[in-house]
Amino acid sequence: MSTLLELENVRAGYGQTRVLHGVSMSIADGDVVALLGANGAGKTTTLRAITGGVRWDGSITFGGRSLNGASTEAIVRMGIAHVPEGRGILTELTVEENLRLGAYLRRDGDAVAKDYDRVFEYFPILRERKKLSASTLSGGEQQMLALARALLMRPRLLLLDEPSLGLAPLVVRAIFDIIRTVNQSDHVAVLLVEQNARIALELSSSAYVLEVGRVAVAGDSTKLQNEESVRRSYLGY
Amino acid sequence: MTEFAQQVISGLASGGIYASLALALVLIYNAMGLVNFAQGEMAMLATFLAYTLIGRGMSYWIALPITIVVAFAGGLVIQRVIIRPVERAPVLTLVIVTLGLATLVNGLAGFLYGYIPRDFPSPFSVQTVDILGAAASYRDLGVIGVSAVVLVLIYLLLQRTTLGLAMRAAAHHPEASRLLGVRVSWMLALGWGLASAAGAVSGIMVAPILLLEPNMMQSVIIYAFAAAVLGGIESPLGAVIGGLIVGVTVNLAGAYVPGVGGDLQLAVAFLIIIAVLVVRPNGLLGRRAARRA
Repeated sequence: MSTLLELENVRAGYGQTRVLHGVSMSIADGDVVALLGANGAGKTTTLRAITGGVRWDGSITFGGRSLNGASTEAIVRMGIAHVPEGRGILTELTVEENLRLGAYLRRDGDAVAKDYDRVFEYFPILRERKKLSASTLSGGEQQMLALARALLMRPRLLLLDEPSLGLAPLVVRAIFDIIRTVNQSDHVAVLLVEQNARIALELSSSAYVLEVGRVAVAGDSTKLQNEESVRRSYLGY
Repeated sequence: MTEFAQQVISGLASGGIYASLALALVLIYNAMGLVNFAQGEMAMLATFLAYTLIGRGMSYWIALPITIVVAFAGGLVIQRVIIRPVERAPVLTLVIVTLGLATLVNGLAGFLYGYIPRDFPSPFSVQTVDILGAAASYRDLGVIGVSAVVLVLIYLLLQRTTLGLAMRAAAHHPEASRLLGVRVSWMLALGWGLASAAGAVSGIMVAPILLLEPNMMQSVIIYAFAAAVLGGIESPLGAVIGGLIVGVTVNLAGAYVPGVGGDLQLAVAFLIIIAVLVVRPNGLLGRRAARRA
């Protein structure tokens, strides 16, 4: 498989505070990669660097093209869908309007219509709530909406920032099943930031563990799962 | 009763004018978190453009759309050149910048056209027509008609088109919108263009009544503020409803409340602002509690 996204020695921060101290990682086409680590390790900042939400230096390439200096809008147009921390739901708009914004960049009307059918198949509740304000959805429903909206963007790479946060275990299970389905049937690569290491390692093929802005451990997800020492010191289970 | 109906119709005409300018204020408020204090002056300058075009022999109905288009472009350019560099500045900076813009535009109009009030033509006669027993002037009906058309067009653009959807998204959630590929900065510029166009309509509609001079909009913008606040400052529909209510209320107060007359009507607008802020700070259609706790 060819490399889709590559980070080399990426340093980033906010104002004077540096959060990433040289992160390198790569994601192959169609791969699911987990990005793990404690609070404040730099997981969210890594995602924000990729979509240009924070100043960074080093090198980030997507599909062979450098993302250096590209605006968020331009990066998204290249095929990266980013479900940010807090899900990025537009609460002033209806559920349907949120979904329409997912397809905002697309010009292939027929395929969009099919994709609508598909996301409603994944998340039937969204069809029922179509006309309601997105602010009335529960946390789980908002996460579903964020994911559905990202899928309507037809991305090559999906960045997910803690999709399990604040959700009941059953809902988490349902959402992760759909992430797996999407990855397998559409060949969408996924970079998954998670606090819940156990479920993230189950889904991913490889994983990176960040510790204060650096990659502390990286490798095959199954191996990391089975290594006592790694699990205890970095993953906390 | 017929006189009352007449006052209401004439109030609705003023209301349409206030509604257009109030809508302009709300569009900018949503994008910037602050009203544009130069909105009235920009509308006044656009009205002078229409005045010049008509003065050169152009038909009113050609000058009107041309002015609206130029006002739109002007609003867009002002956002790109003056507002964008201070977009992320503290709110006080933005207040000063828009106040400065107001002074600048006012001075520019004074320099170009002087301060002598001028007659502005109206395509509608002041003759009256009988509607359900009330004598309504063609001018009032015309103003109501033009305002209604403009407001409906803006409503359709914002609510029914993908571009309008992107504009609303960009105004409320710039970060999240960027992640969906929306060119937020351009959407905000379009918002300024739209606001400027709506303001131009209010200026052209009010000019035949108030006479055109650089300070013409200074009372109108107070009514528009009252309308926007009454509507909930964030709600375009609220601004329109607020505009109509303010127009009718002020007109009725002028006609029936002893002592108000023409001179104290502006005080009624202030009274509405104060009353709304005390009784219902979120206005009629401000952010409602349709959300989970």
